[in-house]
Amino acid sequence: MRIKYFSLVLIATLLLGSCKKGYLDINEVNPNQTQNPPLNGLLTVVTYQTGINVFRAGNVTSYYMQYLASPNTSSGSDIYDDLDRSSLWFTTDDPTVVGDEGSGIYNTIRDERVMLYKAAATNAFEHIGVAKVTEAMNMSLLIDLFGDIPYTKALDSSNFAPEFDKAEDIFNSCLKLLDEAIIEFDRANPGIKLDANSDLIHNGNKTAWKKTAYALKARLLNRLSKTSNYNPTAILDALSKGYSSNADDAQITKFANRSPWNQVAANNANLILDGWMSEQSIQAMNGTTYGVFDPRIKYITDTTRFGDYRGTVNGKGRSGTGTNKEESYLSINGFYSKIGAPLLLVTFAEMKFIEAEASFATDKPKSYAAYLAGIAAHMDKLGVTTIEKNVYLSNTMVAVGVANFTKDHIFKEKYIAMFLHPEAWTDARRYDYKYKDFTLPLGAILPTFIRRMGYPSSEKDRNGKNVPAVTSLTEKLWWDK
Amino acid sequence: MVPFSLFSQNRQITGRVTDEKNAPVSLASVLVKGTNNGVSADDNGRFSISVPSGNPVLVISAAGYGSSEIRIGVANEYSVVLMNSSDLSEVIVTAFGIKKEKKALGYTVQTVTAEDLNINRQNNVVNALQGKVAGVTISSTGGAPGQGARILIRGINSLDAGRNNQPLFIVDGVEIDNSTLETGGGDTRGMTNRAADINPDDIETISVLRGGAATALYGIRAANGAIIITTKSAKAGKMQISYTGTYGFERVNKTPDVQSKFTQGFVGTVSRKPEYDPTSFWPSWGPTIAEAKALDPTHPDAIYKNFERGYRTGNQTRHSISLMGGSELLQMGASFSYSNQDGVIPFSDYKSYNARVNGNLNVSKKIKVGATLNFINSGGSRVNADRYGEQLIYWAPRWDVMDYIKPDGTQKNYGVENNNPVFTLATNRFYDNVNRIIASTNINYAPTTWLNFTYRIGNDFYTDNRTRTAPGPKGLVGELILGDNGSGFIQEHNIKNRIITSTFIANLTNTFGKDFSVDLKLGHDLRDAKQRRVSTTGDTLVVPDLFLLQNAKRILATQYIEDYRNYGFFGDLTLGFKNYLFLNVTGRNDFTSTLSKENRSYFYPSASVSYVFSDMFALPRWWNYGKLKISYAKVGKDGNPYGTTTGFISAAPIGNVLPFTYTDRLGNPSLRPEFTNSIESGFELRFLQNRLGLEVTGYMAKSKDLLLPVKISNTTGFDEAYINAGEIQNKGIEISLTAVPVRSKDFTWDFNINFSTNKNEVVKLNQGLTEILTATQFGYLTSNANMKLIPGYEYGALFGRTYRQYYGTKPEDPIRVDKDQPLLIGANGFPSIDTKQKYLGSTQPDYILSTLQTLRFKQFAVTVLVDTRQGQMKFNQFANFMAAFGTAKFTEMRTETIVFDGVLANGSPNTKPVYLGQGKGPDGVDYGNGFYRNVYRGVTENFIEDASWIRLRSISLSYSLPAAVLTHTKVFTGASLSLTGNNLWLSTKYTGFDPESSSFTAGNNGSEGYSGFSYPGVRSFLATLNLQF
Repeated sequence: MRIKYFSLVLIATLLLGSCKKGYLDINEVNPNQTQNPPLNGLLTVVTYQTGINVFRAGNVTSYYMQYLASPNTSSGSDIYDDLDRSSLWFTTDDPTVVGDEGSGIYNTIRDERVMLYKAAATNAFEHIGVAKVTEAMNMSLLIDLFGDIPYTKALDSSNFAPEFDKAEDIFNSCLKLLDEAIIEFDRANPGIKLDANSDLIHNGNKTAWKKTAYALKARLLNRLSKTSNYNPTAILDALSKGYSSNADDAQITKFANRSPWNQVAANNANLILDGWMSEQSIQAMNGTTYGVFDPRIKYITDTTRFGDYRGTVNGKGRSGTGTNKEESYLSINGFYSKIGAPLLLVTFAEMKFIEAEASFATDKPKSYAAYLAGIAAHMDKLGVTTIEKNVYLSNTMVAVGVANFTKDHIFKEKYIAMFLHPEAWTDARRYDYKYKDFTLPLGAILPTFIRRMGYPSSEKDRNGKNVPAVTSLTEKLWWDK
Repeated sequence: MVPFSLFSQNRQITGRVTDEKNAPVSLASVLVKGTNNGVSADDNGRFSISVPSGNPVLVISAAGYGSSEIRIGVANEYSVVLMNSSDLSEVIVTAFGIKKEKKALGYTVQTVTAEDLNINRQNNVVNALQGKVAGVTISSTGGAPGQGARILIRGINSLDAGRNNQPLFIVDGVEIDNSTLETGGGDTRGMTNRAADINPDDIETISVLRGGAATALYGIRAANGAIIITTKSAKAGKMQISYTGTYGFERVNKTPDVQSKFTQGFVGTVSRKPEYDPTSFWPSWGPTIAEAKALDPTHPDAIYKNFERGYRTGNQTRHSISLMGGSELLQMGASFSYSNQDGVIPFSDYKSYNARVNGNLNVSKKIKVGATLNFINSGGSRVNADRYGEQLIYWAPRWDVMDYIKPDGTQKNYGVENNNPVFTLATNRFYDNVNRIIASTNINYAPTTWLNFTYRIGNDFYTDNRTRTAPGPKGLVGELILGDNGSGFIQEHNIKNRIITSTFIANLTNTFGKDFSVDLKLGHDLRDAKQRRVSTTGDTLVVPDLFLLQNAKRILATQYIEDYRNYGFFGDLTLGFKNYLFLNVTGRNDFTSTLSKENRSYFYPSASVSYVFSDMFALPRWWNYGKLKISYAKVGKDGNPYGTTTGFISAAPIGNVLPFTYTDRLGNPSLRPEFTNSIESGFELRFLQNRLGLEVTGYMAKSKDLLLPVKISNTTGFDEAYINAGEIQNKGIEISLTAVPVRSKDFTWDFNINFSTNKNEVVKLNQGLTEILTATQFGYLTSNANMKLIPGYEYGALFGRTYRQYYGTKPEDPIRVDKDQPLLIGANGFPSIDTKQKYLGSTQPDYILSTLQTLRFKQFAVTVLVDTRQGQMKFNQFANFMAAFGTAKFTEMRTETIVFDGVLANGSPNTKPVYLGQGKGPDGVDYGNGFYRNVYRGVTENFIEDASWIRLRSISLSYSLPAAVLTHTKVFTGASLSLTGNNLWLSTKYTGFDPESSSFTAGNNGSEGYSGFSYPGVRSFLATLNLQF
């Protein structure tokens, strides 16, 4: 009798468990995520974050370039402190911050590789092209800041601590990617076309992308100016297939929140001090350094309450309270920092200056013409009036004539044309910072100008054994030696 | 017709109920058998009951005692003696509400009665357990109304800082949710742990199962132990009504030492001397008050003590009423409570309403049915205590922080770079509102004497609505906008959480011969949990103080879905020999939804032996009980849901398109469950007829394959990977001593001590990892205090920067600081910062000791609860900020010139005198921004403080009306008044607020290490009135 009861009980309890098939499968799919992101959703994040990565890098290099200066005395960003740059490599999603999902160069490339994979499966040639161009854009940016970084072993989810590749090898891979991208853009009948709204750089225009690929190629080849591989012919060839006007510029015009430099200016207006003009860049434009008033200053910043333009010395910090308009800041109405301001990635003006540099040795008149055209293009971009532009371009300090024209003039003007852009720092290092009156910041902790960034703590903490030793931030990168 | 009762010859029978040692059995139930007519004895065991004529039988019973029946004869007064069941079979509630005889248990279970639980009138049941149980570390994360409290049993056994290390909470056999949700910015607002919704006045007993074999039957969720709560259930008898009312007030119990000599300002860029500036960003680097008054006659004579002004007196009210009664057939109870508390930080409050109904129906001799329904509404205005503390440091004490608002309603401030902390509290608001229903029903069917079935099903469902608001700028001239409020925003977060638990147990008992007994339980247990969250944010308000989503320029919404399912089969077999030797074996197989099909089923056993040797052979008369116990258990633990997959999430729209990006965490389809193997052994002895009892337990537990999201190189494109990461070990000893040093007719003294120590060690990390960062808190100049897992160190080990030391030819240990080595002093006469991360201390205590004393003299009772926690270190972020801003008392040394004790790089002793202040010292040398800003604030070690404490946690004096007076009133059967003081005295070396508070919430494993900006602990005074009808 007891046995009967006992076995009945046993059966009942066992039955209870196996009621519903698949009852425990509920966590196999995460309902908060999708395994199948839309190709154009990836296009959006890749193009947008490629732009944000340029902003973030620019927000660091602008202090080295002395475009901007910190309002705080001896701020690490001014005096070459080895600050932690982890956010350039990867920024984790913060649900309270809008627009930083998928942010950071390796985060962007992770998403871009998925886009590449999905595009390959559906013959979406245009998307493959965009993937390769953005990968080249991102990787070429990071190697110029940090030198050797992981690449061939990176982005492999089975390798948690990848080895570092030589920057020169990555550089060559970027050139190869651009060539491959150009071929992809030429292929006929893509399975899916770029969506105009999702492509935040070129609005779905594959011709524009192809030109950008050439433009980037020109930029990269120009970086070799100090090396024996410098090939002006190849540069000029790439330029001829690249940009022909400001309309070809690669830029971001739609944003999740505010345009990033606009946010900087808005913060400053709300007394979260940021975006202060450096004395160096103010003096380069207001006539102090070069003896000619550059009208572009009016489109970038505002006068102080004293009626003049005043910059802050890098490393010195504020003189007053910093809240009384006693110095010049990025203007909330300026071209770079107004509401909806475009975030510039690759510009026609930049191309003109590359042309000037590349053709200087072989065709000085062509070089001089390109120099003047670069200034004009930049002024048009900023919205300088024709009269102001012409006044400036006819001034003898600017229009020096072919005979008196030197490379110093090219770099001097390119300094202004590349305002806030991280590529300017590469120019400065190739030029050995020889801008007029350009000195070390006050209280600099390095004996000479800074030449590289230090590896971020995120990489040192998590991949320490592979991170190369860096003795000083004055160590020159491979193309800078 | 005249009612029968007027003419019947009722008699009044009085008496006293005692146990066999003549101690009163308070609140014994006295019932006229077969009727509803019953009373309760008072605290002295005295009762008075009206009985009909004839010779009725009275049934007298009490919890923990055998019952007794007496037939009423001629006499009107009776003495009743009940046998104390601890001699017979003290019954303990264990897993699944299974009542086991304590003597049969081979593992340790400790019980807290309602009386002990409520002596210090804590509203949060977790806080109420403090100091009353060994092996348990309970910390209130702060003194805010409704603030969460954290409970850990036997140390931490999970590596993931985000995993729940707290025990399982079971109320009447049904699991209830005890999470502390941080949604919507709740991480710094001291959110409530959900077990606080339980009305402590409803609780009869709490059993604390410390782990291992005790919880083997509960499986996964009880890997960290279990708190088994049994609520008061009605007994057959006359309806008993009880009312308890409490009123109290509270103040901050400990404030940090601040300097009072120097005022607002900073070293001047030209003068190189501290300069006074009433609009300066810097609160305390200016000159002396006298010097400031010479420049500014409006400067007060003494700077404001804003760390005292910024906190007010809080108060609390609580009313609770319960009704219980029934017959032999049906017993029912209902209780209602209301509590309301205003906290010591302005604008913080918490209200809670609790209504509960429960009933038991004896359908037949074989079938019993019970049901409970509990409705709770709780919530309040929560303040960001972390931000408040931080802003109080920035606020210059030259100005009164309480003067925070202008007549036009905008912020009153002395400058533009700071924010008035009180204005932040007043305008940047967070409210939560929880509606919760806990319902359960159980049925027990006993077809024969040797077989019974129990089935229990429960549903814990709550919605938690959180609203955050901040007004936009009014646009008035001279308006100083509060940075935290931005352009104004409104956020609505809605959380729905539902847990269904179902348990089925079949129980067979049998005896073989006269010596052997068998008790077999087989069962099935299921848990089905769902959580849904919807968060909507409207930012940039058009009308600045209209807090509606329609009034916002931009609206963003996100959602979160989480499901979890788990069920298991278990068996529990106890074999008894001659009722003094017991062997218990359990086995459980779990099936969980969070692991892949290959890994989701796993089995684990436990075995324990209990040997009551005092029953086997004769012991001396003064030694009446002795038991040895040993147990081994293996418990499995699964992962969090969705750990096995990686996918893409959508992000905020750009223009009108949605970006999609890979998540930051790499999932792992081959995740395995974690297992903890533990061994526990101990003994329990009682002497002098239970007047002295000693229970000692030692344990060791090793947890393997612990699941942890590990930070990986970002160059993989991910930030974290979820892997089985390592091993951790806990071992310790728990001792409980109970004694009754004095027991006489009028005076008794109960003496309880609980002692526990737990040593934790990270044994191994997988994947070639040498360290894992689990928590971090900011310190100036990268002096962050990091909590890291490193093999050989305990969980919660703190690492950070130290002063550089001189080692000469001696090798320098890369991790440990050698206290014997002198400081390395630079050529400038100052020590410098060592940027290596060194071990700075453990956040785990060496031991915890608590003692509860209860003295009763006639109608009076005094209880004293003292507890101490020794050996834990904490990072005091508050002190770090105070050093950086010149607020700390020790910065008064800034006017002095000293010689630092240490040696130079060449080993020779330092002799260089240096000025500790800013700017030009008396020697003419420019000291820049001063020692405290240049060096001191960048050394983490300076702020790792000894947080050991001893405190008088509670002292309570109560008076209950004697039975004679009560019967005179004809209405009350009990009345007492008590005065309680909580947290009256604290002794600690910690320099900040009460070191028990935490910067993190109750659910966060980083809680123990960081006590900087937290809601301060409070000292409270309460008066409680209890009436029984």
